[in-house]
Amino acid sequence: MTAVIHEQQAVPQPKQHGKPGGFLRHTNIVTGVLLGVILAVATYVIGGLLVPWGTEDSNFAQVGQEALIAATYAAWVIGFMIGIGAFAGPIRWWLGHDLTHADAEYMAGKDQGKWKYWKYTTDHKVVGIQYLVMAMALLGFGGLLAMLIRTELGVTWAEVFDPNFYNSIIGTHGIVMVIAMIIVVAGPLGNFIMPLMIGARDMAFPRLNALSFWLLFAAVPPLASNLLLGGIRDGWTVYQPLGTQAPVGMIGYQICIITFAFSTGIAGVNLITTIVTMRARGMTWNRVPIFVIGILAAAIMGLVWFPMYQYSQVLALSDFAFQSSFFIPQNGGSVWLYENLFWLLGHPEVYVIVIPATAALLELMVVFLRKPLFSYKIAVAGFAGVVGISSLVWVHHMYMTGWSPAAGYPFMLSTELISIPFGFLVLVMLGTIWRGKVWTRLPMMCVYAMIWNKIIGGITGVYLSDVPVDQYMHGSMFVVAHFHFMLMGAGLFGAMGAIAYWFPKMTGRMLNERIGSIGFWLSFFAFQLTFGSMFVAGLQGQPRRVLQFDNAFNVSNWLSTIGAYLIGVGMLIFLYAIITSWRSGQVAPSNPWGAKTLEWQTATPVPLENFPVLPVVTSDPYDYGVPDPYLAIEKKLSDENQDVTAGAR
Amino acid sequence: MSELAANTQSAVPRSATTGEPVTTTARRNRLGIWMCIVSDATGTVALLVAYVYLWSLNVNNAWAPPKDTWADPIPFWLITAGVIVATLAMWWAVSGIRAGRTGQFVAGSVIASLVTLVTLIGQIVQLSTFPFDITDGAYASATFWLCIATALHLSVVGFLTSAMIGRLRAGRITREDHSHARLVAMWMTWVCVAVFAGAFFATTLNASPNSNSPTFGTFQE
Repeated sequence: MTAVIHEQQAVPQPKQHGKPGGFLRHTNIVTGVLLGVILAVATYVIGGLLVPWGTEDSNFAQVGQEALIAATYAAWVIGFMIGIGAFAGPIRWWLGHDLTHADAEYMAGKDQGKWKYWKYTTDHKVVGIQYLVMAMALLGFGGLLAMLIRTELGVTWAEVFDPNFYNSIIGTHGIVMVIAMIIVVAGPLGNFIMPLMIGARDMAFPRLNALSFWLLFAAVPPLASNLLLGGIRDGWTVYQPLGTQAPVGMIGYQICIITFAFSTGIAGVNLITTIVTMRARGMTWNRVPIFVIGILAAAIMGLVWFPMYQYSQVLALSDFAFQSSFFIPQNGGSVWLYENLFWLLGHPEVYVIVIPATAALLELMVVFLRKPLFSYKIAVAGFAGVVGISSLVWVHHMYMTGWSPAAGYPFMLSTELISIPFGFLVLVMLGTIWRGKVWTRLPMMCVYAMIWNKIIGGITGVYLSDVPVDQYMHGSMFVVAHFHFMLMGAGLFGAMGAIAYWFPKMTGRMLNERIGSIGFWLSFFAFQLTFGSMFVAGLQGQPRRVLQFDNAFNVSNWLSTIGAYLIGVGMLIFLYAIITSWRSGQVAPSNPWGAKTLEWQTATPVPLENFPVLPVVTSDPYDYGVPDPYLAIEKKLSDENQDVTAGAR
Repeated sequence: MSELAANTQSAVPRSATTGEPVTTTARRNRLGIWMCIVSDATGTVALLVAYVYLWSLNVNNAWAPPKDTWADPIPFWLITAGVIVATLAMWWAVSGIRAGRTGQFVAGSVIASLVTLVTLIGQIVQLSTFPFDITDGAYASATFWLCIATALHLSVVGFLTSAMIGRLRAGRITREDHSHARLVAMWMTWVCVAVFAGAFFATTLNASPNSNSPTFGTFQE
């Protein structure tokens, strides 16, 4: 048997076992959730019968309860992954029943309508949309928690929440937002847009692509459920030994991070392999769009450093559930070990968030300025510098922990050094805008917002990298304002610009920019109010993660709370623009911006195999204003032909 | 001759799903495996760092297990030897299929699978017969986790090597397209390094060099 692939090749096929898709025809999100819940409940019930109940350990928890809850969460993840069909591929591989072309097309969602978004679908465009929706849901959940935090801090005359619950909200908000921001650009756009941009038909490993998304999906319920099991009361960093003294909700956090790290690692393998090996013919490294370079940089950092964070949680879970001794000092453990492992990813993670958003805005600004990117090579050098130095800065989070005070100074230097390659990126943005004729559209507004926020976040970051300043500022609201300017100010506003720019390609509809702009500008100015006031509170000495404070901080907190509510309103307006445009917006042409990169050269909606014929790249991606050499040759040939015809006459 | 017919008769096998030459997909898979190794290596380094860090600090003088009952070094090196033998057998199998000797591939794969299985059982026996429990101080915890990591690595290797015969029979491994067997051998080579590193640390770094260990307040009552 053969199959004709891409209308060109007749390729011998392995034996077709049953209908195309096989076991995956019967699996979807419902079977996943059902099997996950059944396996989790069964584990909890059977485990409860086996574990000796009745005695309490030093944490006032039932002996064995931690291990049982860890097993229950693990059973949920494994059950869900079985139910969604994630193990079908490895089992088929083990049996030698490799996919046929018909299997692959079924798994890519061919002819399945909208149901494909609820299945283990391998098409990169489906995975991109799944990531987009997941990121928006997580941002909504994290944003809601932020509103609760600001409500508590804004109501200075009363205590709204129980202090333990308040601390749990803080920790859950932190980690939910970190996960959401890690995926908000690299997930939807790295999956949907990047393969189109490099002229590929799909990601290098389509099944791993689906696996990475559904692992993320499975990781979320354990995290969200922590609020019902005592919560994460010691911030998203869950420093030890507080982590081992926490309620069992902590296990939800740990299982979430362990699972999410698998998801991120798999996504990193896929993104890197795709970019390195699947670029279109003619797309040499100096012709690769800058967004793709940014995704590559983020994927490298995530791939290399995420396992450190993952193992910090594996060992913390071992301490918590099995009473091992990695981070418990009385038994020979060290809390500094945890902090080092945590921050080895914890700081590069900031760049994993900000770099894709920055790269996306670099990519789109040339389109709205109709001029080449100012110094492409400096931008690439900036990304490379950030990737290289990001692994040498983690100790600046630990100046005040007492760990190796002498190490503070070299790490102060390395942290200040990283502002140089980061500064390259801002300068490339400014240089590209310089003397450009701006086509003022919503994505371009996000560029201005990011430059503004990134400069404020960057400069305050330089202050905090100094050991003497950090001794005063550490643990204050100043730090909170600083990292929100980086992660939200640069990361989220950058993501909004990127989504607005690629929205027509992803959904086939134009974004309603009038409503979107209202939401964007309201959020932007409210953001300045919220976190500008927070800088003031921090400079005055208000500590973070504390719900009772001196009246001297009242005005700053009132302003921050008003600003936060307005951010919420702005974001809801932006979300309204997205949803209504997606449902019934103006139908988008294939290249509404007149951009030159490959994703805009194919049809909208994008066909299953992306391009009818794989493209060949003959020029740089940003040659705006530079005549196409092939058009010149065609014109010359045409002129010569006319001359010959005229001569013959 | 039409393009369709020409492609059908092409000497280079093509991927059934994408239609690309298998040499192209093999190159892609090789990079993918390298990336997996990089990621797994970082995790392994995290475990090794934890071991060395706690060994060097000897916090609260609680590094050593009760009565200094260190783990017997011989099982560590037997397990390492098992992994190395299995890996060599797998590479021998790969060289066989590359030369078209199917019998050599079958023999190599079977040896690799069996040796991996025996080694995995050995690892489980070692874990269950340590003279200490995971709760008995930092050395015990770190050693347990190095061995758990080895057991997980061996489980993956067992899954991969045991698939080789079935894939050969299904015609998925041939002289022209044996890239998956090679990927398995590459992964096993990395596992050798990881297991060797774990065994080296667990058997050579026992008693902490820090006899004047820091103590923390009233933790040790």
